Amino acid sequence: MSVKERLSGLRHFVTDDHRYVFLTTSLVAAIGIWFSMRPRSSMSFLAGMYAVEVAMYWFLVAWLALSAVALIFKLTHWKNYAETSPFTKPQVKPIIRWLSYLVVIVTLVLFVDRAIMGFSATMQTALAQDRNPNDFLGSIIYMLDKSADIIGQGVITTVELSVFGTLIAFFLAILLVFLRIQTIDRSDNDFVRFLKRFGSEFAKLYSTVVRGTPMMVQAMLIYFAGFGILRNTGMSVTEIGGVWSTFIAGLVTISLNSTAYMMEVLRGGIEAVDPGQNEAARSLGLSQWQAMIKVVFPQGVKNAIPALSNELVVNIKDSSVLSVIGVFDLMFATKTVVGIYFKQVELYVVAALVYLCLTMAASWLLGKFAKHLSVEPAPLTSVSDMNVTVGTVAGTGSSEHSLDQTKARNQQGADQESQR
Amino acid sequence: MADSTNQPLIQVEGLSKSFGSHLVLKDINFSVSRGEVVTIIGASGSGKSTLLRCMNLLETPNAGHIWFHGEDLAAERVNINRLREDIGMVFQSFNLFNNLNVLDNCTLAPVTLKKMSKAEAEEVARANIASVGLSEFVNAPVTSLSGGQKQRVAIARALCMKPELMLFDEPTSALDPEIVGEVLNVMRDLAESGMTMVVVTHEMAFAKNVSDRVVFMDQGVIAEEGTPEQIFRNPRQPRTREFLTRYLED
Ligand SMILES: Nc1ncnc2c1ncn2[C@@H]1O[C@H](COP(=O)(O)OP(=O)(O)OP(=O)(O)O)[C@@H](O)[C@H]1O
Ligand SMILES: [Mg+2]
Repeated sequence: MSVKERLSGLRHFVTDDHRYVFLTTSLVAAIGIWFSMRPRSSMSFLAGMYAVEVAMYWFLVAWLALSAVALIFKLTHWKNYAETSPFTKPQVKPIIRWLSYLVVIVTLVLFVDRAIMGFSATMQTALAQDRNPNDFLGSIIYMLDKSADIIGQGVITTVELSVFGTLIAFFLAILLVFLRIQTIDRSDNDFVRFLKRFGSEFAKLYSTVVRGTPMMVQAMLIYFAGFGILRNTGMSVTEIGGVWSTFIAGLVTISLNSTAYMMEVLRGGIEAVDPGQNEAARSLGLSQWQAMIKVVFPQGVKNAIPALSNELVVNIKDSSVLSVIGVFDLMFATKTVVGIYFKQVELYVVAALVYLCLTMAASWLLGKFAKHLSVEPAPLTSVSDMNVTVGTVAGTGSSEHSLDQTKARNQQGADQESQR
Repeated sequence: MADSTNQPLIQVEGLSKSFGSHLVLKDINFSVSRGEVVTIIGASGSGKSTLLRCMNLLETPNAGHIWFHGEDLAAERVNINRLREDIGMVFQSFNLFNNLNVLDNCTLAPVTLKKMSKAEAEEVARANIASVGLSEFVNAPVTSLSGGQKQRVAIARALCMKPELMLFDEPTSALDPEIVGEVLNVMRDLAESGMTMVVVTHEMAFAKNVSDRVVFMDQGVIAEEGTPEQIFRNPRQPRTREFLTRYLED
């Protein structure tokens, strides 16, 4: 449903639809009553207008009561409610509608007074404090204000790690999947046969090892192995820190890790290409390599784009394990701030929200990108519970049989994915 | 229409093919002369497609020879890519390259393989696309075409390689009955232009009217072959007769 349709649906609901007036606005009124019962903050503008607020409160209560009467009437006169109810009389209807708008307005006023002004007040006091306030929200605001640099640095590092890592992994995965899908052709000589065999086995082994070990362990291994090697060349620890920083080691880890998963996704996309495409290319005299490069591969990559782009979302989240080697990402930054204030829950809630914003932004952008390439966008999920979606191009123009085959192969790809 | 030289263009000798333990082709001997149009008919599963696909090595035979241009296609490590350039193939499911438009479908192989310039290849492609009546679709994406149009593009694509032999595997079986004709007309024109063709088909009218020779396959062997008149008027083999009566009843 487009935004326009939704808006016009909403307009219709607000201005014309009479069926849910009481039901919807009684809920709104209840929320308003709840707000009015909340304590007033220092910035509350209703504080000086006590009489107005009391009137608003009783108006909402009266509305709730009226709704209750209407509900009882409806329940007792189920069959002929429309004819017998006093609320459906043509003279009464518009009054009720206008009153319902008033309910919404009153609730909005209360919302602004309590929630928005309350939040501003909390923020004002929290920022003015020189000690960490005790209330949840105030404490978060205070700590965010004091450690904005640390958190900001963490966010930037996380974005860098996941974006660069995903891009590097994409190119490496393209190279690796080439090795992976090589098959022996009749016209190959022994040397080519050996190379193909070797490449394909290497890619298989790589994928098995990388996907079969935790990234945290990989990060440790890569960081300390690199460190050890440089140490053996006689460099000092500070010199090594300049070349083999934790960030570089983290980037290498996430790239190499993501390569294996992306390779499997690409392979799934390539195997989902109708085998008839390859046969047609071969029947014209194209070599296996030419058919692969010019026909099968472009279609396979296109098939894989939704699942591939999902890898960015995965990397945003998974980069958090790199904090184990001391990469200054969002996770590490959060831990650092926790070390200062010992407010674990508050700070990890913030971290979770920031990660959520990042992943949602990423998948929104990637959805736009995928639409631009006219392929179906992937839903916001981790790769593990998602099928490899085949783009609209796959299988069109082939018989039912080959379409089914495409689906079957696709499922295969998804199964492989789900091992993750 | 057979050529004056009696040397066949392609000759299949003692060809056998099995999938696992299932013997699909049993010692097939079969040849096609230059300019000849041969149709292969037979029940589903009799091995027609497999025979055709062996003729350009999309299936690798288990035994036998396929002589073409004095070379054995079935030999280990023959330059099959070079030989396939001269054998066009049209598939039941069209198999147009979905990532390319109509023109690029037709120029991909010539530009890649024939050292042709892009402009030259496009000129040839446009001529062939025109010959199948699709000039206005030159720049259309193939996914926007109807089945009949796709199959005509597939024929044009094969012709762009200037093949000496064209293989058709049930080119009209995936089409709605009302558009079968447009593809068959293109094939008839091609036959009249002297192209050597091997056509697997269930279109008996085409077999009867266009082909020089009809081959009837049954359970992996060529049960009978002859002129269309002979096969359709008085088949010698009881199983041919049975197939044809069953087929013409439907
Ligand atoms: N790739 C394959 N793997 C296993 N068996 C196969 C394969 N291709 C074909 N067959 C089997 O070989 C036999 C002959 O198949 P083929 O496709 O040549 O028949 P056909 O005469 O073309 O039939 P149709 O009219 O249905 O196309 C069938 O029994 C089929 O199941
Ligand atoms: Mg067949």
